[in-house]
Amino acid sequence: MIRDITLGQFIPGNGIVHRTDPRVKIILLVALIVLIFCTFNFAALALITAAILGIIVLSGIPVKMYFKSLKVIIFIIIITSLLNMFYGTGEPIWQLGVLKLTLSGIYRAVFVSVRIILLILISSCLTFTTSPTDLTDAIERLMKPLKVFHIKVHEIAMMMTIALRFVPTLLEETDKIMSAQKSRGADMESGGLIKKVKSMTPVLIPLFVSAFRRAFELAMAMECRCYQGGEGRTRMKTLHVHRLDIICIIFTVLLLAGVVLCDIFIAPII
Amino acid sequence: MSYISASGVKFSYDEEGQNVLNSVNLKVNKGEFVALLGHNGCGKSTMAKTLNALLIPKEGVVYVDGMDTSDEEVTYEIRRNVGLVLQNPDNQLVASIIEEDVAFGPENLGIEPEEIRRRVDNALKAVDMYEYRTHAPHKLSGGQKQRVAIAGIIAMEPSCIVFDEPTAMLDPNGREEVMRTIKTLKEKGITVVLITHYMDEAVLADRVVVMDKGEILTQGTPEEVFSQVHLMKKYSLDVPQATELAYKLIGVGLRFSKMPLNTDECISLLEEVLS
Repeated sequence: MIRDITLGQFIPGNGIVHRTDPRVKIILLVALIVLIFCTFNFAALALITAAILGIIVLSGIPVKMYFKSLKVIIFIIIITSLLNMFYGTGEPIWQLGVLKLTLSGIYRAVFVSVRIILLILISSCLTFTTSPTDLTDAIERLMKPLKVFHIKVHEIAMMMTIALRFVPTLLEETDKIMSAQKSRGADMESGGLIKKVKSMTPVLIPLFVSAFRRAFELAMAMECRCYQGGEGRTRMKTLHVHRLDIICIIFTVLLLAGVVLCDIFIAPII
Repeated sequence: MSYISASGVKFSYDEEGQNVLNSVNLKVNKGEFVALLGHNGCGKSTMAKTLNALLIPKEGVVYVDGMDTSDEEVTYEIRRNVGLVLQNPDNQLVASIIEEDVAFGPENLGIEPEEIRRRVDNALKAVDMYEYRTHAPHKLSGGQKQRVAIAGIIAMEPSCIVFDEPTAMLDPNGREEVMRTIKTLKEKGITVVLITHYMDEAVLADRVVVMDKGEILTQGTPEEVFSQVHLMKKYSLDVPQATELAYKLIGVGLRFSKMPLNTDECISLLEEVLS
């Protein structure tokens, strides 16, 4: 059950999206997210939807994976679009008591749900096509200027790498401890929310103890491998901006221009 | 001169506490394969950690290739030369991609990227895990993970590797994989110190050192050590099954020209006796 989480899981591949520099991908993701929320009419929305769907096709990741990550937020989409649907102003098309369905409300609901879906799709695309290590590596390099403010960039990146590395290990361990406790008669399914949360104590305590033990051993193993912080450390994989990355940047700039032009020349509908 | 030489090493984890190590003298020659045997809590793991300056002896000194482990200036030089592989492979892997994990050591040493690439490829080939280089560690079996951990040490190009019960958490297949790797390392001229519970692993060594209560009980070639079945039994340590069988047969009056250490030897000795 716990292993169904797909959000943030890397699928190895060798497509265009996989090969793009992770730093470029992160910056472009931020740009695209901003763009998603800068669409005010259908033309702009269609443009960005087409672009993102295009990227998803290029990513070469099975569509099933994207559906999986959308499944997690389906309730959020339904609830927000329902709320928006009845929040519109103007002439009601259909009315039931205080609930007023308006055309602007429907438009708003469509925009909100499409935006959320696009947001999840494009973020999943980044995590599907970029290995967690590449991701933390890129974040480390992008944050490097922050060293001026005495922020320990390398240490933060190292912590993220280790956290990512141990997520599957600790999930597996949680499964094991749960089975162990169940086999001794621990009841984790019945009862209300509070009872369920309380029944997690016998799982969490061993999990924490073991996590600390792991941390201790890992620290020792890292020392054995001459780890002494970020000073004087080199990396096996050096990142270079290639032609592909420049094409990606140009593509995003063009998209940005397109969306802005659509926003300027076509009347906003929300 | 020996590659590693520990003399009069005493160690305790807390100030007043009992000594975990009680003046241990241990010498390891270059290219030698030494197996360290003993009970749980006899101090063998502690001994392993003093060999790469993870622990500094309270009394006595440990020299690695002429460098004193208590000298902080050479700590990392010692750790680069004496790699330590621990028991639990899960807790030794740092990165989520095999090749990036293997690169962790050389990266820490500040080596040039192309050279790291070369070392990582060589190390992964040496443990026969090259085709898995882009996989995630949690999808591998225990034996494979342990081999990756060994590759992570090999990539630092050490001259000696200390294995602290590397097969204790593995199934028989994993054990065999790891032992095969250790044997090839030894053939390549790397000095190996293997701490183990398994007698059939210890018989592969050039020299066996038996520890008890923080002291060295006896040492010698596997034949010398395991033929002292009495002594081993007294400290409730096992001997290889073949040796045990021969010991029992001697007890009922059979005569063997020497003590067998493995099944094949045992068979040929039995044939000799019975013919």
